[in-house]
Amino acid sequence: MQTNNSLWELFQKRGLSRRSFLKTCAMITGLLGLSPLKCTEVVAAAEEKNLPVVIWLHGHECTGCDESFLRSQTPLASDVILNMISVEYDDCLSAAAGEPFEQHFKEIIEKYAGQYILAVEGGVPLAENGIYCMVGGRPFVTVLKEAAAGAAAIVEYGSCSAWGGIQSAKPNPTNTVAVSQIVGGTTIVKVPGCPPIPEVMTAVIMHFALFGQLPPLDTSGRPKQFYGNRIHDTCYRRPFFDSGMFAERFDDAGAKAGWCLYKVGCRGPATYNSCGNMRWWNGLSYPIQSGHGCIGCSNNGFWDNDQFYERLPNIPISATIANADTIGAVATGVAVAGVVAHGALSVVEKYKRQRQSKPEEERRP
Amino acid sequence: MSDGQLKAYYVYSPWLRIFHWLMVMSIVVLFFTGLYIGNPFFIGSQGLEPTYAFSERLSMETVRFIHFAAAFILVCAFVLRVYGFVVNKGDRLLPRFWTKQHWAWTMDIMLHYMLLRASHKPYLRNPLARMSYLGVYFLIGIEAITGFTMYVMVDPKSIWGQSFSLVNSLLINEYYVHLIHHYVAWLIIIFAVVHIYMAVRADFMEREGEISSMFSGVKFLAHQPVDLGEIATEEDSLVRYWDNIARDSRPHSG
Amino acid sequence: MSVKRVVIDPVSRIEGHLRLEIKVDESSGKVEDALSSGTAWRGIELIVQGRDPRDAWAFVQRICGVCTTVHALASLRAVEDALGIEIPKNANYIRNIMAATQNAQDHLIHFYHLHALDWVSPLEALKADPASTVELQNAVLEKYRLPLSGPVGLAFDAYPKEFPKATTLYFKTVQQKVGQIVASGQLGIFASHWWDHQDYKLLAPEVHLMAIAHYLNLLDRQRELVGAHVIFGGKNPHPHYIVGGMPCSISFSDMNASVNSERLAVVDASISLGINLINYFYLPDLLAIGDIYVKKGYTDGGGLAKERVLGYGDFPDEPYNGIANGDFHKKLLLRSNGVVENFGQGLASAVFYNLEGRDYADPAILAEGVEHSWYSYPQGKSNFHPWDGITEAQYTGPKEGNKDSWIYLDEAGKYSWLKTPKWRGKSAEVGPLARYIIIYTKVKKGIIEPTWAEKMVVDQVESVSRVLSLPPENWLLSTVGRSVVRGLEAQLHAYINKYYFAKLVKNIRSGDTAVASTEKWEPSSWPKEAQGVGLHEAPRGALGHWVVIKNAKIANYQAIVPTTWNACPRDSQAGYGAYEASMIDTKVKVADQPLEILKAIHAFDPCVACATHLYDAAGNEVGMVDTDPYAIVKGGGR
Ligand code: SF4
Repeated sequence: MQTNNSLWELFQKRGLSRRSFLKTCAMITGLLGLSPLKCTEVVAAAEEKNLPVVIWLHGHECTGCDESFLRSQTPLASDVILNMISVEYDDCLSAAAGEPFEQHFKEIIEKYAGQYILAVEGGVPLAENGIYCMVGGRPFVTVLKEAAAGAAAIVEYGSCSAWGGIQSAKPNPTNTVAVSQIVGGTTIVKVPGCPPIPEVMTAVIMHFALFGQLPPLDTSGRPKQFYGNRIHDTCYRRPFFDSGMFAERFDDAGAKAGWCLYKVGCRGPATYNSCGNMRWWNGLSYPIQSGHGCIGCSNNGFWDNDQFYERLPNIPISATIANADTIGAVATGVAVAGVVAHGALSVVEKYKRQRQSKPEEERRP
Repeated sequence: MSDGQLKAYYVYSPWLRIFHWLMVMSIVVLFFTGLYIGNPFFIGSQGLEPTYAFSERLSMETVRFIHFAAAFILVCAFVLRVYGFVVNKGDRLLPRFWTKQHWAWTMDIMLHYMLLRASHKPYLRNPLARMSYLGVYFLIGIEAITGFTMYVMVDPKSIWGQSFSLVNSLLINEYYVHLIHHYVAWLIIIFAVVHIYMAVRADFMEREGEISSMFSGVKFLAHQPVDLGEIATEEDSLVRYWDNIARDSRPHSG
Repeated sequence: MSVKRVVIDPVSRIEGHLRLEIKVDESSGKVEDALSSGTAWRGIELIVQGRDPRDAWAFVQRICGVCTTVHALASLRAVEDALGIEIPKNANYIRNIMAATQNAQDHLIHFYHLHALDWVSPLEALKADPASTVELQNAVLEKYRLPLSGPVGLAFDAYPKEFPKATTLYFKTVQQKVGQIVASGQLGIFASHWWDHQDYKLLAPEVHLMAIAHYLNLLDRQRELVGAHVIFGGKNPHPHYIVGGMPCSISFSDMNASVNSERLAVVDASISLGINLINYFYLPDLLAIGDIYVKKGYTDGGGLAKERVLGYGDFPDEPYNGIANGDFHKKLLLRSNGVVENFGQGLASAVFYNLEGRDYADPAILAEGVEHSWYSYPQGKSNFHPWDGITEAQYTGPKEGNKDSWIYLDEAGKYSWLKTPKWRGKSAEVGPLARYIIIYTKVKKGIIEPTWAEKMVVDQVESVSRVLSLPPENWLLSTVGRSVVRGLEAQLHAYINKYYFAKLVKNIRSGDTAVASTEKWEPSSWPKEAQGVGLHEAPRGALGHWVVIKNAKIANYQAIVPTTWNACPRDSQAGYGAYEASMIDTKVKVADQPLEILKAIHAFDPCVACATHLYDAAGNEVGMVDTDPYAIVKGGGR
């Protein structure tokens, strides 16, 4: 991904003199209504390299990811937004609205074609040509495809964008899918979570700011640094798991003592995220530390892995509720009963045959 | 050779027999430790002080260790199975799906089990059983793959972690891996129930030494088995040796 | 006289997808007609059907990530109401702290990061003199601080940890940074706005610089206000709860407990910081800007608030044993439950109607219409009665343009995924302003003996009236009023936070550390059929969730959310919704740059994902359409 030219670089490319550059800067200073004293600052700014341009789109989402992004402490949100990237389009933070905003969108994707980073928050509803999410009078999916065409890289922020999210849970009324199911052809970084940890969200940008490239990704496209380990393998309650010390129900003695939440449904053993090692608010807490099991919010399709307070989900069989173990035990019971019955019948058959001393090959009537 | 006399046939190599019993033991261990891991419990009451499952020696960690050890034993035992397959014809129980005969025999044995046909052709290993063995190996395969996926992901960067992480994405997420592992375990147990029954039944109904064959490797048949060519040969010296013993030790067969 | 039709889509700096269309008379600036359309629908209520009611909070919490705890709380209350669960004292206090935290933080972030750029401009800030900005900052702190407070039981805050920095160098540095951004040509989030709009000249450049400095300062501090969510709920956005109380066990004799003395210290520090940020930044900035606007005659935008406002009341002071049975409303700290009509004509002619207990189960009191929503009603009836709840999607597309490429929506036909909620057949405004009007009216008319919080509400309104030298009804009912009241409420909630923190500590000190009641945790202890209602005063207004549980599963789920009340389409019987009424009540100077409209709508703090998640667009009959959840049971399952 190439970085954009600064004004000074443009002047140099065109073979224009330093003098005319400074003159232009002075003019800009005047245009902005700044005092001439500010001219040096304008010069400094114009000499600087431009920041990577980011376009942030919203599909079917709840804006929780935006909120999470703003909660980042390291780097602080203001440093990211003002100094690391230039967020040119973000309907959550941008000042502009309506027509000029849409116009700006068009200009940006043309001007920075092939250079900008596209951040997407939210899933893509496809039912009925995408009319369940309209942006600027157009289906979100159309806008997304337009923006993705010229993107140097796409960041899927949050589980909605990365996997489809809550609206794609059964029965998925709007037929929502993940961004990567709609667009491709470029590097896609998945940053799942509902929402992702603030510092994980900004760290993807921080990595880019530090090293000029996207962070290394795992086979699912997630940054290895943050989604490598299971929460269970980094959980501070793991020693209790290993020792067999579990909270049996909420607020019991085990819960108070901070024992493992495995038996109240913790999804930590199957969830890849940094909640265990990095935690939220730079180490302050995470759901397990606050006494609630992990619900697996960074996993693909985790919404359909409910009930969240059971280790195994219940399977509804005609109004009764059973889980895998119950079903297994019942099936085994049925098998045992079956073989016993079969055995009994076989024995009866055998004696019948022996009594009647019928020829062996004769078929039963 | 359909004189009604019991003849001994040497079928299973020691390799297969050792494998079989290793498999039995490890599956039993895996199943019960697995149940515990899925739903751990305390013996005794839960106090404020640290307590351990059963006793201090049998913690979750230990139970998991036993589970993993049994899993490795089970997987490694397959080496014996493969070796036996190579060196002994009797171990080659792969069903011959491609032959007409296989399906005819399957029908024959099925009618018998459905109690619609009083007796079946003599088999060293009936085709239905041979198919079910393949089935259970398949189930064990699923258990091994899902099990190792969960096991190796503790170090996702290792070569194992990298290869098995694909299983996670393939099955949507690791939670489904847990679920599948759990369900298939029960399927294997159901197989075991039926399998044990069939062996006992065959012993009782046909007196072919079904169960003892898994210790001795030898089966007794009154008629020449139809699958003799597929599984073992009559020329096998041991067959003749056992033949004699059988004649001596089984008065009712005369 | 040309009437111009202007579209604002997308409306930025809000939650969700909102489209506005206005018809402006270009010569007079009068808005002849305005429509507000929710343009997205997610269907979360359909998704929770058939699931475990104990999981419902996690699903519906994701309706909105900005007001991140509110739907979880309303959902928990609904399920607990249905199952007859009374939560322990500590859980009640903790939930109140989390709710008050949410309100305070949400209001603050709304003002600075979603609303401020309607009033102040970074470009204007460049013209400011940093030294004069210092003077201004000091003057603002002198004049516009609102020195009111609630009962501060535990005050460990030795001095304000965050304080406006009134030094020349500070403002100079901020100005330089803004200058650099502008000069680089990469305006980022400030790009392409109507910065040349004349309204940005209403404030002196120094006000702009001060406000922009605070915009940045608070962008970095707001995160610390939600400490209570991170400690008690494990994260933010979307902290965790459980049916029956809270998951965060309290223990002082275990080394690994979720809540111990150190963790409480984090919560306390975060609550104190909230008080400081609101008292020294938010309120002074807000009142300074508000004062200038009001003095220059900007008191338009009142709209529906003049006619009718509605609230449900919140902050149960102590645990209650049900909502539908009326116990909830007996225990409230803020009794904003009820409806006030005609406040626009002055307090004397304002009329109050109570809203309590079974009223929430009465379809004659709360209902929804679909006249201008993308749904059709069988038999061609124009009136929607919840007892016959059937929703059939009827996406008709726009008036001009295609179904997937709109030019203008059809104000005469259907134009929104939002329905029109009605109270006794009429639309009503909800939100901080509504709550303040209701409490002010109730106290002033002697309907209730005020609690300390209700008294603080009245004191705040009167203090601001003195600052602005206007009677309440003259400034409250406007765009400025809506924004100012949100700030007042942030202050109130910051102290409510403190109040419940002290109560929590006191209760723990008495030896009670229970945070969850688990006797009714197992579904086997539940009735075969149950239904419940959950109420909460969310940052944006009155929120209600209704749930029907059958055989331990959710049979029906519905929420009527604040933004649906406010952003709904018009209705021939109920009239305009609050957004539309407010836009029609707003003067637009430049038709092509309807900054005033943006300001008016932002003053409501739109949360559109909340509002439009409701309906079954597949055209199937779904039980959830009933406003009255009890209808299903009573009506014999249509
Ligand atoms: S609390 Fe959850 S993640 Fe932590 S050790 Fe227990 S099961 Fe694993």
